[in-house]
Amino acid sequence: MKGMLAFIKKEWLETVRSGRLGILAVVFVILGIMNPAIAKMTPLMVELMTDSLAEMGMNITEVYVDAMTSWTQFFKNIPIGLIAFVLICSNTFTKEYQSGTLVLVLTKGLERYKVVAAKSVIMLLLWTFCYWLCYGITYGYNAYFWDNSVADNLFTTSLNWWLFGLWTITLIVLFSMLARNNTGVLLGTGGTVIAAYLISLFPSVKEYTPAVLMNTASLLSGAEEITVYGKAIAVTIVLCVLSVAASIPVMNKKQL
Amino acid sequence: MNVLTISNIKKRFGDKEVLKGVSLSVPEHSVFGFIGKNGAGKTTTMKAVLGLLGIDSGEILVADEKVVYGQTKTNKYIGYLPDVPEFYSYMTPSEYLKFCGEITGMETKDIKRRSAELLELVGLGEEHHRIRGFSRGMKQRLGIAQALLNSPKLLICDEPTSALDPVGRKEILDIFLAAREQTTILFSTHILSDVERICSDVAVLNNGRIAVQGELSEIRNMRTADEFSVEVERSEDTAKILSAFSSICKEVSPTQIIFQNHEKDMFNIMKFVAEQQLSIQRIERLEPSLESLFMEVIDK
Repeated sequence: MKGMLAFIKKEWLETVRSGRLGILAVVFVILGIMNPAIAKMTPLMVELMTDSLAEMGMNITEVYVDAMTSWTQFFKNIPIGLIAFVLICSNTFTKEYQSGTLVLVLTKGLERYKVVAAKSVIMLLLWTFCYWLCYGITYGYNAYFWDNSVADNLFTTSLNWWLFGLWTITLIVLFSMLARNNTGVLLGTGGTVIAAYLISLFPSVKEYTPAVLMNTASLLSGAEEITVYGKAIAVTIVLCVLSVAASIPVMNKKQL
Repeated sequence: MNVLTISNIKKRFGDKEVLKGVSLSVPEHSVFGFIGKNGAGKTTTMKAVLGLLGIDSGEILVADEKVVYGQTKTNKYIGYLPDVPEFYSYMTPSEYLKFCGEITGMETKDIKRRSAELLELVGLGEEHHRIRGFSRGMKQRLGIAQALLNSPKLLICDEPTSALDPVGRKEILDIFLAAREQTTILFSTHILSDVERICSDVAVLNNGRIAVQGELSEIRNMRTADEFSVEVERSEDTAKILSAFSSICKEVSPTQIIFQNHEKDMFNIMKFVAEQQLSIQRIERLEPSLESLFMEVIDK
């Protein structure tokens, strides 16, 4: 346990000193501010465009914005945050393979599964921190300008998206075992997410795929209840555990 | 007692057989020189000992425990210094040693004491900068400090001096001499003068097999054939000597001839030189050197 804790401490130090934490915090704070800001500016932008729209024959009378507009923005912007997260964190393993830093650690007798576990824990915490930071900022502004209660199932919907992000992170872990370089990790992770999305287009299997956790509109409007997503949530949790569990035997036999 | 025993290990990469049955034993408290050309399989052997590389057949024992590929418990007895050690560049040397101590499960106070001792030993006691700006020699020295941190029974170093300048090399060898009392050192190299300076035992790896192995003094004595070198002033004299003693001598340069035979031949040659009145620069008995032995072994 002491070894694992030491490695977690090292990972944390790396996250801070390499600037990873700083960059991600900035990205997610900006996204958090952008959501209500875009909602707030929508009427203004529409007004500016009224004349040109009128020339095209469109008449706009009044634009109504509330917290829902901002939350819709939140779920439109958060994929950008996740992509930034994946790009910044995807080299956490491959950088160590390529520089050879892991060799010294492992030859000191640290069990390999602890490396996998420690890195997974740090990425999980980092994602949780960034995601809820963004959520908190949007929530705060929305409460100040409008009323958050117009969005139904707000917390559970957000939890769904957070879980989807978590699944993506476990894919980083899994593909870091299978690939030697960062490109491989990015292709594997991105490819799997796209594949999950494509699979979710088939109505018969739709309710089982993690990709449906990204559908937030009907939950927020109250058209659907969270129970509809029960199967997808269960499948995603199982996939997360499987990804990390499958990583360990691969790591144990990985040539470094 | 042997701290490391390798029995008949084989390793193949694709269709290239790198190790064709290497057997080796490293006695406790020796400084063991593992010699071989570049690409002879030294690093492969060492990585197999560390469980970083799977072997096709054979067995490796470290302190009488079997090494398993992947996750091996035997690494707790070993300190390892790779040829180019890489550290987390955002740490300072003492932070790095603290981290190493923690992952090996050392007590906090022991980590502090050992780190201070070792950083002093390797000459990094006053270095508080991050590792990012370190030179190769400094990294090599920090590498030794981290390898010795948990007082391992066996210190394995992969070509520790190959990439260093003469000063850096001397520093590393001096550290080894100082560390010899605490541990057994196995280091691979192709620099024979380093071996002659500090090793008590050597093994020569060639073509995937151990060609010679034993104590350095014994190995030197293996070459019994005496050699004499005769250097003349004029190159035409070389021809005269060569024609008279063609069966036992060979020309190495226009003015130098080497004889490989008994002492009585030398007297014959001296007699010939005196009779012919050849002017001689020097006649010298050549000590059997590790280099000539090495050359002989790898030429076989």
